[in-house]
Amino acid sequence: MTDCGCDKAKADLEEYLHREVSAQDFEDITEHLATCDDCSAEHLVGLTLTVTMQRACKEKAPDDLRAAILSKLESV
Amino acid sequence: MSLLVREREDAILVNLELALMSTEAVVPEAAVPEAAEPEDSPAKTTERAAAAKRGLFQEQALPFMDQLYAAAMRMTRNPADASDLVQETFVKAFQAFAQFQQGTNLKAWLYRIQTNTFINNYRKNQRNPYQNTIDDLEDWQLGGAESLTQSTSTRSAEAQAIDHLPDSTVKDALQAIPEDFRLAVYFADVEGFSYQEIADIMKTPVGTVMSRLHRGRRMLRESLSEYARERGISAVNADRTAATPSARSAK
Repeated sequence: MTDCGCDKAKADLEEYLHREVSAQDFEDITEHLATCDDCSAEHLVGLTLTVTMQRACKEKAPDDLRAAILSKLESV
Repeated sequence: MSLLVREREDAILVNLELALMSTEAVVPEAAVPEAAEPEDSPAKTTERAAAAKRGLFQEQALPFMDQLYAAAMRMTRNPADASDLVQETFVKAFQAFAQFQQGTNLKAWLYRIQTNTFINNYRKNQRNPYQNTIDDLEDWQLGGAESLTQSTSTRSAEAQAIDHLPDSTVKDALQAIPEDFRLAVYFADVEGFSYQEIADIMKTPVGTVMSRLHRGRRMLRESLSEYARERGISAVNADRTAATPSARSAK
């Protein structure tokens, strides 16, 4: 396990956030973030963007939609 | 219903029937005695199998309704169209349920149907001149944050400001970015699909998914940060106000 440095961490932060890096890269970037304020602040912005979207986009299907689908499935 | 579909449905009904025969040895089809009991008339059997198929579909697919509706809202931008889209998605999925391979990712399968339906039925109704060329635009033509030059403290403040934005602002900002970017971002960040799953859902190479995600997120970040700056929503402002009550009352 080795610290990957700022250049690699910055280049891969988005893939890191989406868990699309190899296990080795994941460890290396995690280690780098633990010691680099600059990269971890950048990662925090990316993470906040994701969490904020998840929070904002929550919806509940209307009851009449649920009823319409159930009755439609009975008749198909 | 076409003959082909009917044959396929019949095949799955037979499979379901076999699956429902608990531990009994599976009797080869030809050896099943004709009309052993009155309840086993072909009509009743078909009816029961259809009910079993519907039950399985309802149990497995209906729990995704809220998520599909949320995605439909981001696709169509209004509740009436979103409801229509989700309803159509469930009907299509039910009709094609025989083709779904049990044990594979049902959520991704449902999203693929919904995305297809949306693109075929709704997208052509919308005016979007950039639709076919958006992936080819250069980054400078799209605008966006030049985040690499910011200081660490500015970034921390930016994260906090984004965190404090109201849901409606976030949804508006998401709505404002080009559709293909928006869908990629939504699928990755809200739904947590892998890049490969998004590529399958959107029928594009993984490289295109990554590019759309990167650009979409950059545009979203820029627009949210700009909104926060304009409204003075920032961690820096909040701290200052909290530290000096007199400044607040003076306003």
